[in-house]
Formats: sequence, C-alpha cells, structure tokens
Amino acid sequence: MLGVYVHLPFCPYLCPYCDFAKWPHRASAAARYLTALQGELAATPPAPAATLFIGGGTPNAYDATALTGLIARLLEHFPSPVAQPREVSVELNPELVMPGDFERYRLAGVTRISIGVQSFEPDEVAVLGRRHSAAQVRAAVQAARAAGIGSISLDVIFAIPGQTRASWRRTLDAALALDVDHISTYGLTIEPQTPFAEWAAREPGAFASDAHEADLYGDAMAVLRAAGYEQYELSNFARPGHRCRHNENYWANGDYVGLGVGAASYRDGARWVTTRSLEAYLAAVEAGAAIPRETERLLGARRAGEAAMLALRTAQGASVVEFKERYGVDLLDRYAGEIADLRATGLLELTGEHLRLTERGRFLANDVCGAFLTFD
Amino acid sequence: MNKPASPHQLEVASRARNFCIIAHIDHGKTTLSDRLLEITRTVATRDLEEQALDAMDLERERGITIRMHPVTLEYRAKDGERYRLNLIDTPGHVDFSYEVSRSLAACEGAILIIDATQGIEAQTLANYHLALEHDLTIIPVINKIDLPAADPERVMGEVEELLVMERSECILASAKNGIGIEDILEAIVARIPPPKGHRDHVRALVFNAQFDAYRGVVSYVRMVDGELRTGSRFMSMAHQRVFECTEVGVFVPNMRAVERLEVGDVGYVIANVKSLGDIDVGDTLTAATNPAHVPLPGYRKAVPMVYCGLYPNEGAEYDDLRDALEKLKLNDAALVYEPETSAALGFGFRCGFLGLLHMEILQERLERDYTLDLIATSPSVVFRVTKTDGTVEMVDNPSKLPAANVIRTIEEPYVKSTMIAPPEYVGAIMEMTQNRRGALLNMEYLHDGRVILTYEMPLIEVIVDFFDQLKSRTKGYASLDYEMIGYREGDLVKLEILLNGEAVDALSFIVARERAAGRGRALTERLRELIPRQMFEVPIQAAIGGKIVARETVSAVRKNVLAKCYGGDITRKRKLLEKQKAGKERMKRVGRVELPQEAFMAVLRLDD
Repeated sequence: MLGVYVHLPFCPYLCPYCDFAKWPHRASAAARYLTALQGELAATPPAPAATLFIGGGTPNAYDATALTGLIARLLEHFPSPVAQPREVSVELNPELVMPGDFERYRLAGVTRISIGVQSFEPDEVAVLGRRHSAAQVRAAVQAARAAGIGSISLDVIFAIPGQTRASWRRTLDAALALDVDHISTYGLTIEPQTPFAEWAAREPGAFASDAHEADLYGDAMAVLRAAGYEQYELSNFARPGHRCRHNENYWANGDYVGLGVGAASYRDGARWVTTRSLEAYLAAVEAGAAIPRETERLLGARRAGEAAMLALRTAQGASVVEFKERYGVDLLDRYAGEIADLRATGLLELTGEHLRLTERGRFLANDVCGAFLTFD
Repeated sequence: MNKPASPHQLEVASRARNFCIIAHIDHGKTTLSDRLLEITRTVATRDLEEQALDAMDLERERGITIRMHPVTLEYRAKDGERYRLNLIDTPGHVDFSYEVSRSLAACEGAILIIDATQGIEAQTLANYHLALEHDLTIIPVINKIDLPAADPERVMGEVEELLVMERSECILASAKNGIGIEDILEAIVARIPPPKGHRDHVRALVFNAQFDAYRGVVSYVRMVDGELRTGSRFMSMAHQRVFECTEVGVFVPNMRAVERLEVGDVGYVIANVKSLGDIDVGDTLTAATNPAHVPLPGYRKAVPMVYCGLYPNEGAEYDDLRDALEKLKLNDAALVYEPETSAALGFGFRCGFLGLLHMEILQERLERDYTLDLIATSPSVVFRVTKTDGTVEMVDNPSKLPAANVIRTIEEPYVKSTMIAPPEYVGAIMEMTQNRRGALLNMEYLHDGRVILTYEMPLIEVIVDFFDQLKSRTKGYASLDYEMIGYREGDLVKLEILLNGEAVDALSFIVARERAAGRGRALTERLRELIPRQMFEVPIQAAIGGKIVARETVSAVRKNVLAKCYGGDITRKRKLLEKQKAGKERMKRVGRVELPQEAFMAVLRLDD
C-alpha cells in the first residue's frame, strides 16, 4: 500500500511549541509554493495510492479553492487502487474555517478532517500561543458533520503548563461531548530550538513532571476507552471503522511519498527527507533541479529494529511471523534476552504471534521500543 | 679522574659530586634543574623547551615530575678544576617514597629548595628528614626571592628553627631568573663530599629502572664500589640472576655509552634484562665472579598500599585490559594485578598501587594510552585479618573479608601524617582528622604563625578523599605528607550496599564501626543522586552485618513515550531512542539496575 503526504507549511501565526517546517502565511509566498508543489508533483512518478494526507503547517491557511484544486490534481496523479475506497485527510485550524468549506472539501473527495483543538480550556489555549475558542471548535465540528465529512478527528494536548487532572478531564469530556469519530492525545513535547525549549530551560518547574504526565496519559486512556474508543496506537483513539489508515501505514512500515518542503518519503526500504529550507525547496523546483534531500537506507537488523519500534506503538503490536517473512529476523530469537527482561518487568507481552506493549508498557514505550534498536 | 689505589683502600672520586634536588611541590625543582643544565651548557636553552614538551601529558597536567632520568653536568668551578656533577632526580610524591629513598641513597648531598613566598611546607620537612636519614649534606636554597611576595628573612628564620641549620648556609636564588645559580654550583662543589668506595669488590645501587621496548631493562645505577664495563658479567643480588653487560653509559643528558663506570659514577647499565622482575629499584649489582658478600642496604620489594578493582566497561575488552596491564607492568615493577571476578562487574583485575596518585596515573594511562573504558571500584588498603582459628589473611578486597563470626581481629595500616597550615584552619583540620580517626601527636607553632600538626591516622582515611578535602577546607593553604608506621588493630566492619535488595559486591567497603552508619547514609544519598531513575523504584540500602543502617529510594520513571511518530518523524525518533539506549548501555547493569560508572567511585567523593 502507498500513502501520499503533502506538506503545506504556512500558518496564520506560529505556535511556540511546534518544530515542524512552517512559515507565517503570506499570500505571495503561499501562491509560489503551490506552484512549486505542482512542479514537484509533475516530476513524481504517478502510482496508485490508498491514502492522501494534507498536513502542515495549517493547510486551511489556503482558501478552499486553492486547497480543493490541489486535491483534485493529487487524486488524479495518484489514482485509487483497485477495489479500495480512498482515505483523504486534511488537517485544519478551527478558527480559519469559512462557511461552505466542508461541502467543497467533501465534493473534492475529502473523507476525513483532523482539527487542531489542543485544549478546550481558554487559559491553556493561550499558554500554547493559539487563538481559537471552544465555540469555534464546536462550530467547525458541526459544520463538518452537516456537510457529510465521513470521519472527524480532534487533536488534544496534555501536560500543558498549568494543566491539572481536572482541567484535562474537562477537555476530554468536551471532546467526547462533540461525539467525534477519532481523538488524538499528545503529550506536550519540548522540541529543541523552540520558544518552549527556552522557557523550559529558564523555568523547568513550569512543565509537568513525568509522574503528572503519566497521570494525565492514564486518565486519557481510561476516559476514552470507557467512551467506546479503541486505543489503536499510543496517542490515537478511534471508534470502530474510523482509524486513520494513512497513519497506520507508517506504523506498518509501509511505503509513502511525501511532497513539499521538509516532507519525508519511504519507498523500497529507503527513507528520504527533502530540505527544510523553503528557499532551497522553491529554488530547486523552479529551476527544475533535484530538490536537496537526505537519504537513509537501513538494512537487515537495523531495518527490522526500526520496524519493531513502529509496530510496537500499535495495539496489535509486532507480528513475529510477519517480521520473519518480511525482514528475515526472528524477533523471539534475536531479542530473546530483551524480550525476557521486558516481559519480566511487565512491559511487554506475547499474545499469539504478536509482541505488544502491556498497559504499563504504554507508559514506558521508549524503553521497550529502544530494546529492539541496534546500531553500530 | 680517579687516582689509582691499592685494593683494600677507600678510593675517593674527588672530581665527582652526586646530589639531588628536593622540594615541596611547585617550589621550583624543575626550574632549578633546567637552569643548572643550561648554565653548565649541558643542554641548550632551545632543547630545554623540547625536553619539557617530551614529558608525559599526565605529568605536565598535574604539574609534577613523576620520574626523570639523572644527568651529568660538567662544571668548571672557581678553583679552576672541572667537576662532574651528577644530578639525580627524585619523584615528587609521597606514593613514591621508596624510590625517593633509593635516589637519596645514591647521593652525598641534597639541595633543599624552599619557596621564598610560601616557606617550609609539609613535604619540605618530610624530604629534609629523609635526607638526614641518608646522612646527606643539605644545601638550603631559598627560591623565588625576586617575587614581590618573597620574604626570605622569614623563611631563613624557619630554616633555623625547623631545620636546625645556620641562616648563613642558605643560598638566595631565583631559578627562573638565574639569580644565585653560580652560588649553588659552588656550594655543591665545596660542601658536598666527594663519593668514596672500595676497589676490591663491585657494588652498584640501582636507584631507578626503566623498561625500553627495544633494549629491555635500563638500570640507572650509582657505582658504589668497583667498576662495571661493557662485557662484564654481573649479578642482581636481590634476584640472584646473572647477566652480561651489553652497554654501560652516562647521561649527558642523553644516554651515551662509555667504556666503564667507576666508583662514584652515575650512569646506566643495559644487559638484555627482559623484565623489571629480574632487576628492580633498590637492587645491588655485583660482579658474577667474586661477588660482594653484602648487598647495599635498603632494598625491599615494592609493596602496594592501595588496591582497587579495574573492570572493562565492555566485557569484551577484558583481554585488552590484561594486555595493557602486562605492558604497564614491564615499566612499573610496583604495579601488581591478578584476575578477579565480581558478581556485579564480571571479569576484571584486582590491582595494587603504591598510593592514590600512582593508582590515578595508571588508570589514566590505561584509559588514554590503551583507550580502555574502565570501571574502577573504590580503593581499599590491605587489612590484616586474624581469624578465630589463629590463621592470618591479608585482605585487599572488602568483598573477600571473612564472615564476622570467624574474625578475631582486623588490623589496618596506619600513617603518621604531617600538615602545615595557617592557624585559622587548625579547627577545620582538627575536625576533619577527628572524623577520620586521627590522633593528634604534636602541634607546633612556627614564627610566621603557621602550625605544624602531626597525626596518626589509618591509611584508609587518608586515601579516601582526604587530600582534596584538606585542600578545599583550607583554601589550598595546607600541605600534607605522610609515612607508613605499621599496622594497628581497629574496630572495623564491612559496610554493604544493597540495590533493589541485592548486595553489590563492588560497592562494599571496610570502615570503622563508629563511622559506618554515617558513611552508609552519605553513600546511599550520593548513590541516589548518581543513579538515574529506572523503569522501577530502586531502593538503595546500606547494611552492616545484615542490619540496614541507611535507606534511600530512586523513584521510578513513570512515563517515557514519544507522543508522535509519523512519516516525517521516524528517522529522528529512532535516533532519539538510539541515543537513550546508548546512554543506558554506557551503564553497568547490576541485577536489574543500571548503574553509571561514577557510582563505583562514589565512596571517594563523600563529604564528611
């Protein structure tokens, strides 16, 4: 299966915790970028793709005309595989949603939207440097549903400075009250070279301890599961039939093509990321030159280790049978010591042919995943 | 040249003088040596710098000379005669006091340098007493007199008072700026007696021995009686081994072969000796036919005072470590080692050293020159354990201490330690030494107000972080020297450290019962700071004879999850986890607990 990711890097304003490739939205730059993107697309071999994901940045910093136009070209370039309905996702900022947008998205083929909510608490939204209101979120969800978007997802963040278990519970309850199909809960990550990293260096006490973060994560799992959502990945919860197939493909170590500045691709065992410099990206595409990129190809056990790191994030876990077939690595043999330790510590379990995280293991997933990585 | 004399007569090498320079650290020994070489044109100024650069990094960094070869200076004195002045270096640290004593035994005189700004320090006194024991003529030199803070008058007062020498015997000098150097050379000629020896038998004192990869052992000798030539067959009296001289020579300053070494000469002997176990420091070389009946006094085998376990951080490096130790041993007879096994650390070696500095130097050499990644356990002394059945065991590893119920007595080595410090620090020193079971023997006030404190203390209390503590509590003003005075019985117990309920052999140590609980508390606290949080809670306990005396807990990591891992993140996230894992793998796993290397040395860094 092939997935296609398209990066739209412009935002109405920049959030202080985000380290994606992103720039403040300017009409001229955004138009130039869209043209370049089409240039890159034209130079990319067409192939059937099962999923398309438009991420950012803030994709709806582009108006619906631009966005739907882009989607149409992409769907034409990457046709639907035989006998498979296509998943087309778009990430959205609720405050930029305009009346009529969702109808146009649906008509263009969009099946799934993911709204960046982060929190329903006004002070937490403010701490994150974002400007939308809970009312705007509700309005966006209702409009999307009314327009017939098949799958609606919300992103929420925990471990925000100042967040309590009670306030997190209110955010979770507010998300549930909107009756959405999918919820992603992300622990706030301090990324280097962001304003939050500077803040954390100055005032580490402002950020959640790992114990508090564990409590918040545990609360999310309990509340969302009780509400009928399946935790199909460490940070992702879905109602039946509403998993994000595009993301599942990443964890299955499937192939994908990334388009746009800083986008990552993975095909036939090689991974490459195009330049994160907007200037370099534009210049290369406009000159018809190769876009600068970094490539990495993992072989043998290293590739299997990385695949295990990804698979273990999912509820299903890593299939011992599949790993033997696909990578020629017998996990139970090669990692016998590690697996015994992790099972003894209660972090990992073997169910049938699947190695997977236990409930406790979800809190310490890095320690489990790390055990399968080999490096020189 | 030597005058011919009949066999049973004493021969006097009237144109030779053998001397050494002794000083407290930083009082200017190296500078004065360099200046003497330069003024006698033994070495051009330009070469001096190169020579300094050739010195080992370790020595330069520590500002100490561990060992230097001797050098012969040609000097035309004011009496018009040419003299051969043999300068014999002495190692500058108490760990090497035996080597110092052998170097002194090769001399008739000593230049005792005293810093005009600092005055007499603990090592000055120790060196002075050592020189007196060897009956050396002492020439006191007050150095650095041109510094603004110099107070030669005061220092000369100290010489009169502490060294019982005449003020008029002092030479005022500045080695750095060449002041007083002629006076020193003249004093060497005038005051130090020429060497004397017999012709009817051969005895050469080995005061230093180095291993050369190509030539084998190079023995640095002082000819006491008779002569040695290339081709002579000679015997090591300590090891009863016979060799044939392939080369004898002198240091001018580089090695230069000569036909023979005669009474009073200082030079080297090379004889295809494969190991420092066949000839070592303090040995007497004599003729193979008609050997001397009695060796020169003072030989003893180097006795390690401090032991620690050295383990490769990666088990795979065990063979590399063994090879490296073998190579170091070739050049350092004082190093001893034997394989040992630790439940916590796997296969390694128990290594014995002359002292803490010797230990640190060799550890650094293993890590730098042999690029080994080592874990060193905290140092121990050798305890003498008498068991209830009357047998005696020497225990250099706390984990080998017999069970308490079969121990009748434990004895430990003691030292006499001398400290000199300004009076405002006496309280701090007394508190420190009391905490370390020191007994004050003597307290003496100097003219300048400084105080000399003499203590008897257990050696273990001195080697474990005493010097650093002393320096920090006296703002660097106190100086320290110590000498061994034998074994004393002590009320000693083994303190065990338990991690996650399991005793860790490499962390146990032997300690005075009265201090055990306090040390246990301090160590568990320190370990709590050093041990990173793990996936589970780690209790750290200190126990004496099974009874817990202290407990700390490292709380568990509750959450360690990457929130996002999508297409664009995978490489970066994998690298992040690899880095986390590499950090863990640097650690030593003991049971289920990951320990950083520093944990094994934690006991060395405890505040009182």
